Amino acid sequence: MGMHKPIYHPMNDCGDVVVCINSRDIALRGDEWKKRAYFHHTGYPGGATWTLAWEVHNKDPTMIIKKAVYRSMKGNLQRRHTMERLLIYPDEEVPEDVLQNVTNQIRQLRLVPTRLDHIPEDEVRKFPKVMDYPKDYVYK
Amino acid sequence: MSNSNLFLKSGFVRAPLQNGVGRYVCQLQRIVLKFCKSHGGSRGMRDFIEQDLVDFARDNPSVVVYLKPRRHRSPVVVAEYLNGDRVWMSMQNKTHSEITKWIENMRTQQGDLSALRLRKYQYTDHPSIQGPWTPFTFKNPELNVATLPDPKFGANNRLPMSATEQLRMMFEKQSIGSKEDTEEKKAE
Repeated sequence: MGMHKPIYHPMNDCGDVVVCINSRDIALRGDEWKKRAYFHHTGYPGGATWTLAWEVHNKDPTMIIKKAVYRSMKGNLQRRHTMERLLIYPDEEVPEDVLQNVTNQIRQLRLVPTRLDHIPEDEVRKFPKVMDYPKDYVYK
Repeated sequence: MSNSNLFLKSGFVRAPLQNGVGRYVCQLQRIVLKFCKSHGGSRGMRDFIEQDLVDFARDNPSVVVYLKPRRHRSPVVVAEYLNGDRVWMSMQNKTHSEITKWIENMRTQQGDLSALRLRKYQYTDHPSIQGPWTPFTFKNPELNVATLPDPKFGANNRLPMSATEQLRMMFEKQSIGSKEDTEEKKAE
């Protein structure tokens, strides 16, 4: 929309194109991956399906972001055209012609959490611990 | 902008100041009064024609006045302006004084003002002194040479800092400063 720009006018087409990367690494809160369902209806009788978030995400890693943005917009005729300005990529691989037009970066809203497999193995091994699990211990 | 305004003539707000600086030019060029001689709806119009029309024509020699009697039709005033606008207005059942006021309004206005969609509610001949805004004004010039995505520009820098964090920062700054001091002393 470009409503934050000083040159904004309803008849002035000044909205930005946004490139979203790493959509495969999104996080949902709590047990939303198991509980959140995405509804789809084919239009035929009995054509309703409810797909869980983890299933949707396995099928298409960009779909959850896309639907979240689509739902947050007003349901008017402009919505589908505005969605054309959002480019979502599951990882950091962005086509060259898209990347060379990127002029700015939106800052992250939260800090990126550090996962155990992000920490180098040496540091993990050196980390102080109370006891070792016995060899016949079965992980849950 | 609603759909009913799509075919409306559009323009900008303007002050009609320049007309009258040197000399006044009446913008109304031609006015046609259509009326019926017998119907009651034209009563006010007939009164106007009987009492005021000759004076009107005498006071405004630049305006062409036509009278068009039409049997059993409602009274209408059509005004044509210097800029080509044509204003059509029904005078059905209007009284003498109302018609006088409307015709005075038509004489003094500049073009068809009521049927004009304003593109903006403000207008200026000098839009900007320091140059118009572009997406790159007030942006960090480092972005021009950076290869994006870059964690330097993408990392979050707006989280509130806890007291512990602040203390840690202060301590680190202190320790770095003390190190530098010692190094300087060594160099001396």
